[in-house]
Order: sequence, then C-alpha cells, then structure tokens
Amino acid sequence: MILSASGAHHYEMPLSLRSFTSLKRALLSSSSPSLLLRGSSLVPTMAASSTTTVSSTDAGAQLNQSAPSSPPVQVAKRLEKFKTTIFTQMSSLAIKHNAINLGQGFPNFDGPDFVKDAAIEAIKAGKNQYARGYGVPDLNSAIASRFQKDTSLVVDPEKEVTVTSGCTEAIAATILGLVNPGDEVVLFAPFYDSYEAVLSMAGANIKCITLRPPDFAVPLEELKSVVSANTKAIMINTPHNPTGKMFTWEELEFIAKLCKENDVLVFTDEVYDKLSFEMEHISMASLPGMFNRTVTLNSLGKTFSLTGWKIGWAVAPPQLTWGVRQAHSFLTFATSTPMQFAAATALQTSDSYYEELKRDYLAKKAILVEGLEAVGFVVYPSSGTYFVVVDHTPFGFENDVAFCEHLIEEVGVVAIPTSVFYLNPEEGKNLVRFTFCKDEATLRGAVERMKQKLRKR
Amino acid sequence: MTALAASTGALNLGQGFPDEDGPQAVLDAARKAIADGVNQYAPGRGFPELRSAIAEHQQRFYGIPLDPATEVLVTVGATEALAATLLALIDDPDDEVVVFEPYYDSYAACVALAGARLVPVPLRWPDFHPDLEALASAVSDRTRVILVNDPHNPTGTVFSRGVLDEVVRLAHRHDAIIVTDEVYEHLVFDSPHVPIATLPGAAERTLSISSAGKTFSLTGWKTGWVTGPAELVSAVLAVKQFLTYVGGSPFQPAIATGLRLPDAFFASVSAEMKAKADLLGTGLRAAGFDVSTPGGSYFTVVDAAPLGAVDADTFCRELPARAGVVGIPLTAFVSPAHRGDYATLVRFAACKRVEVLADAVERLSALPGA
Repeated sequence: MILSASGAHHYEMPLSLRSFTSLKRALLSSSSPSLLLRGSSLVPTMAASSTTTVSSTDAGAQLNQSAPSSPPVQVAKRLEKFKTTIFTQMSSLAIKHNAINLGQGFPNFDGPDFVKDAAIEAIKAGKNQYARGYGVPDLNSAIASRFQKDTSLVVDPEKEVTVTSGCTEAIAATILGLVNPGDEVVLFAPFYDSYEAVLSMAGANIKCITLRPPDFAVPLEELKSVVSANTKAIMINTPHNPTGKMFTWEELEFIAKLCKENDVLVFTDEVYDKLSFEMEHISMASLPGMFNRTVTLNSLGKTFSLTGWKIGWAVAPPQLTWGVRQAHSFLTFATSTPMQFAAATALQTSDSYYEELKRDYLAKKAILVEGLEAVGFVVYPSSGTYFVVVDHTPFGFENDVAFCEHLIEEVGVVAIPTSVFYLNPEEGKNLVRFTFCKDEATLRGAVERMKQKLRKR
Repeated sequence: MTALAASTGALNLGQGFPDEDGPQAVLDAARKAIADGVNQYAPGRGFPELRSAIAEHQQRFYGIPLDPATEVLVTVGATEALAATLLALIDDPDDEVVVFEPYYDSYAACVALAGARLVPVPLRWPDFHPDLEALASAVSDRTRVILVNDPHNPTGTVFSRGVLDEVVRLAHRHDAIIVTDEVYEHLVFDSPHVPIATLPGAAERTLSISSAGKTFSLTGWKTGWVTGPAELVSAVLAVKQFLTYVGGSPFQPAIATGLRLPDAFFASVSAEMKAKADLLGTGLRAAGFDVSTPGGSYFTVVDAAPLGAVDADTFCRELPARAGVVGIPLTAFVSPAHRGDYATLVRFAACKRVEVLADAVERLSALPGA
C-alpha cells in the first residue's frame, strides 16, 4: 500500500505496469525531488518502492477513498493521473482561462477537401465492412509508391507494407511484435511518450541518450558507448517531436554503421517527414545496407491535417513485417475501411500539395518564432515538424510546469512542459514546446497576449 | 478462405461480416461529421457525445447506470478493447485467463501477448453449453480474468443464466475479473440479451466490451467501447492510450446517433438475423448437415459428418470447388490439443443478403451424401 500526499490509500500496482508507472511518477512528481534524480540509470526499476510518495500536482484527481471489494487493480487510476494530469490540468485550466492552445499537436483547421470528399464517397459507396488486416490493397500500393518517390526504394505492398490505426499503433505493433523482454533498445530523449510506455510494456531494457540544446545534435560518442552486440534496436524520430531537430546524414550514417556492426534494428518514426523545412528529410531505410534492418513508420494525419482519422503504416522487409503484423492482428486486427480509401487518394496527390503545405507552415512558423523571440524566449532552431522548443527561464520560473501554469493563468496561452518527454525530467525543466499548427490569426493572437503580459524577471 | 472465395467465385459464408451496410442515418451522420470538420484527435476516452450515448444505451437496454466521464472508454473496435484490457490486467506469467473454447481467434494471441496462460473450458456439440463442473475446475486462485463472449462466436450459443451466475460466483470466490465480449448483444434471437454486469455482485468486477460493428452492420468502422467501474476502465485507458491513443473521430458522433435509434431498429436487427439463421439452418438440414440451432450471433455451426466428412479442414478447402460455398472449420477456433473433438464441425455465417443465403443453400443441397 502506498500512502499518497492526500492521504488516500493506493493498492500495489501489477508488475507489468510497475515499470512505466514508476517512471511516470518520477516524471510528474515535482514535489519529490528524490524521484527526479534517476541519474544515468536507463533501466526502469521493476519494483515500486513502498516509500515513494505520490505526486501532489494532481489537484483535479479524485481518489476513491472507499474502495469496493473489487480486486486490487488500481494501477490505472494512478497511471492515468500521472500520464494525463499535466495535459488534463492544462486543458481544464486552458478552458477556464480561455487560453489560446498552442500546446496540443493538432491543427485547428481542417484537412483538404479532396481527401475529405474521398472518405465521404467511400462511405457512400459502401466501403464500410472489414478491410484486409494489413491494409486495403489500394492504400498499400499508394504507400509503396509514395515511399519509392521519397526514398527511391522499391517495396512490395503485399509483403512490406502494413496499415495501422495511426502511427501510434504502428509503433506499438513494431515494439510489441519485435522486442522481447530484456532486449536493449536505445531511445533519444526527449521522446514522444508512447515509445517509453510501449517499450516498458514489452519489458525492454531502455538505454536513453539525451539530445541537448541548442541544436539537439546526437552525442555520437555517447551513443557509441551504449550500443553493443546486446542492443536489439535504436528508435529514431525524425523530424523530431518535440524539438524539431532533423537527423543529419552524418548522424544517420554513424547510427547505420553501429547498427551494421552490432546487428541492430532501427525503428524510425517519420510522421513529420513532409514538414521538413530547413533541410531535406532523410529516411534511414534509404542508407546503404539499412533497408533490411529498418522499420519505417509514418501516417496520414500530420501531412493532411486529419489527425483524427488514424491511418498509419509500417514499411519493413518481410522478416520484420511479420512481427509487426502479428502484433497488429491482436491490437486492432484491421484499420477503418473508408479512411483507407481516402488515404490512398491523398497519397496519390501531386507534389504541389506538399509544396503548398510547406509554404503555409513556413509562414505560420515565422509568425510564431518571431513572436516568441520578441517576447524574450530563447528560441531553439527547429528544422522540421510543427513544433518549436524554447527556453522559458528568462521569465523566472523554477521549472517548465510552473511556467506553463503561469502562461495559462496569467497570459492565456497554452504550451507543453517538455519534462514529460524525458526519462529524467530534470533535463527538460528549462524547456517548453509550442506548436504552430494553428491558423495565423490564432498564432498572432497568442503572440500578442504574450507580448502584453509575459514579463522577464 | 476469402482468397479462395474470390478466386473460385464461391459464396462467402466464411467471414463474419455483412454484405450490406447499416442504417442510413448513421452513414449520413458520419459523412456529415467529415464534411463539418470532425477530423482531429478526439479526447483520450472518446468524444463526450459518444460516451453519453453508450451510457444511455446501457441504461436503456439493461438498466446499467454508468458515468460517461469515468466509466466509459471508446476503443478501436472490440479487438483493441480486449487487447488493452488483458494487457492492463495481467500481472505475471502465472496468471491465467479462462476462456470458453472454441474461441474467437485473437483471444489466444492477446493472452499470449499479455504473457498469461489460457485455460479453456469446452463447449460441446450440439448445444455448446459448458459443463458447470468443468467451468468450476478451470477457475482457480491463479485466474486473473474470466473471458465471456456472449453471444458466442463461433458456436452461436447464448449462455444460460445458470452459467452466468456460476461465472460470477467463481469470480468472487477466486478474486478474478470478468471481461465480456458482447459484440453480438443485439443479435440474440429468442430472449433479451443478459449482460453479466447486471447480475448481483458482478458489476464491481466486470469490464464489458462491445462495439458498433455488428449492431450497425459497419464492421469496417472499428469503433468499440469498454464500460465498467472507473478504476478498471482507467486501467484499460492507461494501456490503450499507448496502443492507438484514440480512434476514428468522424465515426464517433455517427455511432452516437445509431445508439439513440428507436427500439424498433434494435428489434429489427435481431429479428432479421434470426430469420436469416432460420433460412440457412433449414437449408443446411435439407442438404444433409446436422445443424446446431444458434441462440444468437451471425453464426450457425453444422456437423458435416453425415455428408461423409472426416476432417472439417479438408471439407472446407474442397467446398468452394464442390459446392461454390465457403465455410470455416471450427477447428480454426480450437487449441491444437482439442481439435479432435470438433473434427467435422463447420461454421457458416448468416449475415448475408437473403438471396445469397438462398443461393448458398441451393448449392449445398447439390452435395452428394446423406
């Protein structure tokens, strides 16, 4: 039993979730500094200490004081509190203060009509029953064609492309399908939160390398020191959420060499590949000798401003696709049918769509970046994605969560505290993430509020 | 089997999906949602409107009260609900999951992924009711989950009140959680569906899974849900949020519309399927099969032994060429050790247009035998 700060009793959590639960507790427990200092240890502890205290930042969470006679499975309550507390708190504060939301990574404008119309047509045409498990043939082909245009690699849509419910599921299927308990997997922090969670579910041994400002370059020697014959896979996200960093040719080559020397797989999340602004996006799979050991993950949502459609995919050689498909078949089995047909239409669009997308986002980025700099943030260069990370310390707050709360309550703007994207939250406490996937009026409005009300200390 | 059907032009009574779409109101609502811009991420538990509609549905049909804010979670189909639930509840490799066998094929994979041991309780020809003693001996203190798929795929059986009571009693005794798969809840033929969660003492330890696909003949929309006590639902959410995060947005308001359709719609769903099952069953009997009369679901199980079959797998492989019809051998849903008990049994799906069923029956009656 663990006694929380508020006095309510919690039950022991199941082992399977203990590992990433204890990580989450460490991440969000700003009132328990001892938990923040996980040092260089990269392996999640499997047993929750009975003396650890629970975060008190969960002001809104209601704890079930009078537990029913149901079995002790109250993991989730604690986990949900830890995972969504920051976001839930931010969201309800945002609504309460009528704040402009530059936190959440989804557009406040809709996707293109030609894609929406394709989905509407597909529903009308009766494409509403189970799709083939690994994808509607038209979509698998469209994905393969697009992949060839982007990388020059020719892949077999039947054997090397798997459609999933968004890239999140592609990530889950890849990790659950290919990683065994005890396997070592290298992650770069800050990272999209599902990576760590699913790796923990798979029982992986996480080795974390931190990317640091100002350029978030890969520390090559440090990476080399953690990769060995025991490494199963390296996870890459390029363009990178939250920093906007894009992996360079040199970095990818260095990683590729390590992978070939040590027989390591690469899982690469490239959902923002069409939002690459300052340099060309490079897919690891296209490097010499890498296709056969790489799973390339992508999705429709960011490129076509339809994040709620959840159409993603994994491209991988047959021997890796097999594992991805096995996991996919019990995670969701099949992906929504009408959206797949629409996605095929979307992917067949000409390059002019992507050029216009980039132009639009560059204009939005300029508004935000110029605004943030004028306000007084230290703005780190973001080469891709629709995110920018900034250093908030000129405004005098002790950490990113405190800053974000102030930003909502006193200024009326939402940003995401990046410490939630690190194994060791200390490493992210100076940074917050803004998104510019909003219409220009919204961006200008947010900048205006910050100019008016955000003061350096 | 689908590939075989396609290549031979056979009528596909193998796969469990309809050949006609569901209610126009629901289809229209989805198209409108897309056009209106409901195309970005839904909240993690699903849009409030759908969660409310699900809660209303449970209250309306079963008298189950639910707080849509905490006791309802929208998932990418019932499949994801089950995967997330098992991953959330299974503690360690010695955990056991009790399942009625034959079972829907993803159950074994889900249980294996979660690292638990699957303990089957046999359902036997012809009525596929479990033996209560066998059930009691399958459940022990190692049992973490008792998984109840009711109405049942592939057998079409509907569990009796006595069986459901026994499941609840055993769950209490051994401190297990009951997880239900009720996707065919509106396809029960002779009596109203009884969710286990309505039985005394069950609700606090039951997670109920269902989905839109079968009720609304929209199996490709992949929108399901899990309901139950807040803490258990939160456990499932904790896992689910990392599997897919959320499901397809425009479908959610459309399914909310569907769940609020009048009683007559829901009555017609089961009445029509019953009529189809009757049509298929009569025809299969006339063709010489022994037929197990289903209590619900899309499926009818037959014994092909009277037609000379000794191995259902072979029988089903040959059937497209011999008769132009596809069926699934029941052994596909049974663990290898027990396949001998189901050797000549075949599952056919009745969720097809009446003309297709009539055609299939005619083709099958041309088979020599009996």
